[in-house]
Amino acid sequence: MTSTCEATTRTVPGAAVIELAGEVDGSAATVLTAAYEQAIKASDGTAQTVVLDFAAVDYINSTGIALIVSVLARARAERRKVVASGLSPHYREIFDITRLSDFIELFPDLDRAVSQLAN
Amino acid sequence: MTNATRLVAFTLASEPGNERLALARVAESVAGLGLPAARLERLKTAVAEATMNAIEHGNGNRAEIPVEVEVTQNGDQITVAITDQGGIEAPANNQGNEEPDLLKKLEGAQAPRGWGLFLIRNMVDAMDVTTDGQRHTILLTMRTEGGST
Repeated sequence: MTSTCEATTRTVPGAAVIELAGEVDGSAATVLTAAYEQAIKASDGTAQTVVLDFAAVDYINSTGIALIVSVLARARAERRKVVASGLSPHYREIFDITRLSDFIELFPDLDRAVSQLAN
Repeated sequence: MTNATRLVAFTLASEPGNERLALARVAESVAGLGLPAARLERLKTAVAEATMNAIEHGNGNRAEIPVEVEVTQNGDQITVAITDQGGIEAPANNQGNEEPDLLKKLEGAQAPRGWGLFLIRNMVDAMDVTTDGQRHTILLTMRTEGGST
């Protein structure tokens, strides 16, 4: 299955930002893993926080949730924090139900996530 | 099901990704029935997850074996029936033994996957599974009114 997920990475002070677009499902594994590694590398490994921005994501399914769990597990093993921005109300509810929001701080949008991290 | 009106019935090839077609057609069939937006989103997620299960676990990703989807309305109750030809074990039974536990998953004590049935149960007002041995049907029920959100 061809992935319809796209990821753009950039760094801000102290954080690696991964902006996702399209569908986050099982086919997004390669894209998400590569984006994580690229984002951390671009920060010379210094990023303490990984920001996942979902503003341009229109679909997340259970296999996508599993990918997010894997990213979170990896980040925690590397002592990095994960935050998320841009989730729709429905996917915020899913983050609550799965308890992802216990481990991933949620921000309404990327600007607020980045400005909060800068403070 | 007495006094139920069939809104739509269709089949899908058992190919990964076709769950998106199912949720789109189900959403189209219930448009105008007064399902609040948040509950429609929940139903769409449940339909997608149940269809994925039917494609992957029920029909083994064998494209030539169809997944059947039927949407009916009975009063304020919408029911989506999703049927696979999975054989002896119902997919809803053989995956549902262990409740997903995020902390266990983060610690590596559970696989990262295994959220499908958990999501379905939390998205709809009722989930039932029937089987006649070969065919397995998952019934997703959502009320247009009277739900929590």
